[in-house]
Amino acid sequence: MSAPDVRKAEELSPEVRRALRDLILSLADSKRLIGILYAEWVLGAPELEANIAASSISQDEWGHSRLLYALLKDFGDDPEKLEHEREPSEYCNIEALDKRFATWTEFVVANAVVDTALTVQLEALSESRYAPLRQRVQKQLEEERFHFGHGAAWLRRLAGAGDEARAILQQALDERWPAVLRWFGPDNFGDEGKAEGFWNANGRELRQRFLERAGPVIEASGLALPPADVEFDVWDPASRRSSRAGPDPEAVRRARGDRNRAFLMD
Amino acid sequence: MADRVYVVLARKNREDPLRHIGSVHAADPELAKVYAWKTYDEERWFEMVVALRDAFHPVNRDEAPFNIKRQGTGSAEAG
Repeated sequence: MSAPDVRKAEELSPEVRRALRDLILSLADSKRLIGILYAEWVLGAPELEANIAASSISQDEWGHSRLLYALLKDFGDDPEKLEHEREPSEYCNIEALDKRFATWTEFVVANAVVDTALTVQLEALSESRYAPLRQRVQKQLEEERFHFGHGAAWLRRLAGAGDEARAILQQALDERWPAVLRWFGPDNFGDEGKAEGFWNANGRELRQRFLERAGPVIEASGLALPPADVEFDVWDPASRRSSRAGPDPEAVRRARGDRNRAFLMD
Repeated sequence: MADRVYVVLARKNREDPLRHIGSVHAADPELAKVYAWKTYDEERWFEMVVALRDAFHPVNRDEAPFNIKRQGTGSAEAG
């Protein structure tokens, strides 16, 4: 990209600045929530090594979200307020994380599919002209490689455990799939920022990259790829959501650290 | 699919020899790689590899501590 780097959000056009801010917040909220939801399984995974992996992956996601929230200061936001003071209805997470993981199967589907969607979006920022973001993406992507490896291996393993296990997996996958595809936005979503070099894919291209990444893993596991139809009638481009109900309130309380508020330090 | 023991070898720098740092139980090599990376994450490893412990053959001890077959779970049994 021959256009020069942008080092401060104030140098961005109002349209790109708004879109980039919304995207970073959606990624941060999604990573904060998936970290919290993973953490609920730190002692509940089926084997010791999976507990350790869940703990480590959870901490990775928490770290990613902190990096991303901190970046929003450059956009005039107060990261403290974003992290600790918002109601569920104000979260902009991918809707596939609204419900907690009731079973290890749901953990695995989120790990293999939802986490992968976030990674595909992150990859589209790895050459962004907005340098502060680009510089924070690479480390996250290195860690995400292992998250994907974990999710894909467990998906294969559970799917190979028999027809009943595969049916449960399929149901968990079918439930989350539409929200995952929708999160990338309509086909031409992000065209302007793409043309200016702030990311390198619009909604259609991101969806395609996601399908190319997750599709083979799903099909190799003997699961059916759910339909790729996406509905954007009531979709809000700022929050990237169709519903303002927000994620599970208990998950948000934990994400905000409500019980530890007295110990919060600068 | 039953878990098998994978030996974990790693080095911090290119010029270091690969060192046996532990083992993990995993159902397949892909999970073994993730488990090894996430379990032994105390260093920024230059290189890490895993191999089935069954691939190792004792040379001078029939009851070699490294290759001992033990039941149950837990990661730190190979010495």
